[in-house]
Order: sequence, then structure tokens, then C-alpha cells
Amino acid sequence: MSNIKTYQRPASLEDAWRLLSEEGKTAKLVGGAVDVGLFAPPEVATLIDLSHLLSTSVESRDGGGLVIGAGVTLTELLESPQAQAYGGGILVTMLRQVASPLLRNAATLGGALASTHPWSDVITLLLALDAQVRRYSGHPEEAALETLLESRGTMDRVIISEVSLPRLEERTYIDFEKFVRTGFDVGMLNCACRMSLSDDGCANVRVVLGGTPDIARRSPDVEAAIAGTSLTASDIEKAAAVASESIPARDDVRASGAYRRILAKAGVRRCLQRMAQKAGE
Amino acid sequence: MTMTLTINGKKRTLTIDPGEKLLDVLRREGYMGVKKGCGAGDCGACAVLFNGRAVNSCLVFAAKAEGAEILTIEGLATGEVLHPVQEAFLQEGAVQCGYCTPGMVMATIDLLSRNPDPSEPEIREALSGNLCRCTGYVKQVNAVQRAAEWMKGGETRG
Ligand SMILES: Cc1cc2nc3c(=O)[nH]c(=O)nc-3n(C[C@H](O)[C@H](O)[C@H](O)COP(=O)(O)OP(=O)(O)OC[C@H]3O[C@@H](n4cnc5c(N)ncnc54)[C@H](O)[C@@H]3O)c2cc1C
Ligand code: FES
Ligand code: FES
Repeated sequence: MSNIKTYQRPASLEDAWRLLSEEGKTAKLVGGAVDVGLFAPPEVATLIDLSHLLSTSVESRDGGGLVIGAGVTLTELLESPQAQAYGGGILVTMLRQVASPLLRNAATLGGALASTHPWSDVITLLLALDAQVRRYSGHPEEAALETLLESRGTMDRVIISEVSLPRLEERTYIDFEKFVRTGFDVGMLNCACRMSLSDDGCANVRVVLGGTPDIARRSPDVEAAIAGTSLTASDIEKAAAVASESIPARDDVRASGAYRRILAKAGVRRCLQRMAQKAGE
Repeated sequence: MTMTLTINGKKRTLTIDPGEKLLDVLRREGYMGVKKGCGAGDCGACAVLFNGRAVNSCLVFAAKAEGAEILTIEGLATGEVLHPVQEAFLQEGAVQCGYCTPGMVMATIDLLSRNPDPSEPEIREALSGNLCRCTGYVKQVNAVQRAAEWMKGGETRG
């Protein structure tokens, strides 16, 4: 039974922030409401709708980077030509695996990040892409998604207004893999890799594993195993083995820890194999 | 609180609870074709068009629909003449108990409004949030293909 007493549509981000800070834990921000509608805790009495306040634009910037309004729905992002062109279409590859079109039509990018689901596909890929998040807490502030996730429990206490993705240098490769029991299910594990490959080998490596069942994190051991290599078949096998050994895998309702180790190995291997293939084309 | 929205082309001002879901408000107002299955975003039986896009009305707060255009299954037929998607579902035998049908039809209308000539994988993806416990997910795909053909040809029904 919901205890919600008021539904607010503040006139500005400033008003939204004031309401949120005055009402504390009894207030909740609302993006697409896909999550809030299901999981609003009983203490929540005030909903603060952000939909009319947040940008829904997707723009290319800095010669190839992307700036995305946090109010954009996952469908709008998926359908945007700018997002489709970014990183060889990697955003589309990931977004098409998030839930169903019915949910993607409502869910916003801001909500997808702030809900900090451990199995979030959006967070896994955006972490690998080194996304920067612009937020509003009485004044604008900007931080790396990676930094914000360190205080995960507070992600929805500051208004996320914009997400930017960096310009990708030439010969940068990105890939994403998700393991599900059925097409519409949340993942048992997901994985995203990004790196640049030159004659000196792999550099700027970011490998992220999510749903382990903990929230997505970079894997320094796998990154170290790849950095400087030329991504040969044996380099890939070594990195995949490191992924299996090093992830903080545990059992939960979706999969056992042992099975997650197998998935981590397969996920990293598949991503790296596809990236090596693209690099060779 | 009161809110104003357009349902099936008619402007309505409704009194709602701030935490109420669109599904419950629509059903209370007599739009019983909007079905409640899971109430958790999993089955799609409650799908309606919200400003032209199919969403799970069991998740959307009714208050969020202030000023919005909502289309339910009741708003599709013109008098006795069914919408081509409804007609195609009937002619292809894509309806058994019918509980999932309104949601499937609304998801199909969203798809065909953006992609008049979808491939089978595109149809399956568009309907992936709509569960059916009776059929085998074959006749619905046939129905969407048939509706697409009719609509491309400008036919209003089969
Ligand atoms: C049935 C189901 C299946 C799903 N499957 C997947 C899946 O396969 N993969 C996947 O990655 N995700 C999946 N999800 C999660 C889904 O992507 C997120 O729940 C959704 O993106 C949340 O977005 P929203 O806009 O609806 O957020 P809301 O429900 O509106 O909000 C979610 C949280 O974020 C806060 N919030 C919202 N907007 C902001 C903002 N701008 N700034 C700060 N805080 C904010 C809210 O206060 C709340 O705490 C699934 C969810 C459901 C219900
Ligand atoms: S009742 Fe809404 S998705 Fe099942
Ligand atoms: S026809 Fe019975 S649930 Fe689909």
C-alpha cells in the first residue's frame, strides 16, 4: 500500500532540489517511474517529477563525444542517430538488451543510473565508456560515474541532469556482453570492454563486470592482463581466465557463484575476440 | 488531487490519489480493456499508448499523465469497424482467452506507427514485453505481419 501524499511537478531544478533537501528520505525523485512505481519505500510521502525539467536531447560534441540529457528515455536514446553512430553502435547493442520496449519507452537514462541496480546493463557499459555525470545539488557539479558509484546509496539524492561520453580516439574498440536466462530477464552477469589498439599494443583498457551479483566494477586484474598485449588468441585466453578467477562472484537467485565465474570467462573472451576481429579488419 | 488528460481523444479532468497508477485510474473510469496481470512491468497486459508510445500503465503514476494523450484499446475501433490490428488478430486466430490481447495490440500499434514494414525479429522484439499464456507466439506475429500489409495498402480493415 502506497503512503504517497503529494505528487509535485516543480517549476525548476532549483525548486526540485529544495523540495528534495527539505523533505529528506520522505521524498523521491521520479524519472520514468519504472522503478519508483514498484519499489518506493513505505516512508516515501512525496514524489518529485523531473520529466518536464530534464533535457531529452542527444547531441554530438567535441568532435565525436556525446552529451545526453538525463530525461531521455532509453527508447529515445536507442533511436537517436547520434547514439547509433557512437562507438560503432555499442549503445544500441546494449539498450536493445534492456528489458522490453514497453519499459524502455518509459525508463529514463537518469533513472537507470540513479537506481544503481547491480545487474544494470546501462551502468556496466557507461562505466566502461568512462561516462561523466552532471548533477544538480543547488549548483551544478560534474563527476565521473565511476566516482559516484563509490557512494552508491546516495546516487538518487542528487539530481542527475546530463551524461557525457568522451570522444573515442581512432582505433578504439568497445564491446558488451550480457547473459540472461530469457530474453526479457535481467542479466545473470554482464561485461563491457573498451581499449585502444596501436602498434604498441592495447592501451586505455577498461574492463567492467556487473551483476556478479554486486554492482558493476572495473576489473584491474583483467585490465592489467590485457594492457600492452597485441590481443592474440593466447592473450585473450589469459585475460578471460583472470576474469574468472578475480571477480567477486557469489550465489544469488539468478545464478551460482561458480556459474558466474564461467560466464565472466566467456563474456570477457567474447568481447575481446570481437574487438580483435574488428581491429584486424 | 485533480488532473487533466486526454483519453481516447476526449479531454478528461479526474480526481486521483497522488500515488495511484494509471492502470487503476483507467479501469476505475471504465476502460476495462486495460488489463492487470502482474502489476510489476513483466507481462504487458496493461499496455496503453502514452503520447504515442506503448508503456506499462501499471508502473506509470497517473499524475505523470497530466496533459498527456492516452490511447487504450477502447479508442481504436471506429463504431463497429475494428482497427486493422484488432481485425488482424481476430482473422489470424491470435486470440485465445484474450487477456493479453489489448496489450499486444497496443504494442503493435506503437511498432507499426514507427516501422510500417517490420521484420519478424523486429516484431518479436516489439512484443517481447507482452506475455501470453495461451498461444505459442506464432499467430500474433502473423497478425502483426497481416496488419502491416493492410496498413501499408491504406486499408482500414481486412
Ligand atoms: C521488469 C523490469 C525489467 C528490467 N530489466 C532491465 C534490464 O534488463 N537491464 C537494465 O539495465 N535495467 C533493467 N531494468 C531497470 C530499468 O532500466 C531501470 O529501472 C530504469 O531505467 C529506471 O529508470 P526510470 O526513469 O524509470 O527511473 P525511476 O523509477 O523514475 O527512478 C529510479 C530511481 O532513480 C531516482 N531518479 C530518477 N531520475 C533521477 C535523476 N534524474 N536524478 C537522480 N535520481 C533519479 C529515483 O528517485 C529512484 O530512486 C528493469 C526494470 C524492470 C521494472
Ligand atoms: S500488469 Fe502491467 S506489466 Fe503486467
Ligand atoms: S490469449 Fe490468453 S494470455 Fe494470450
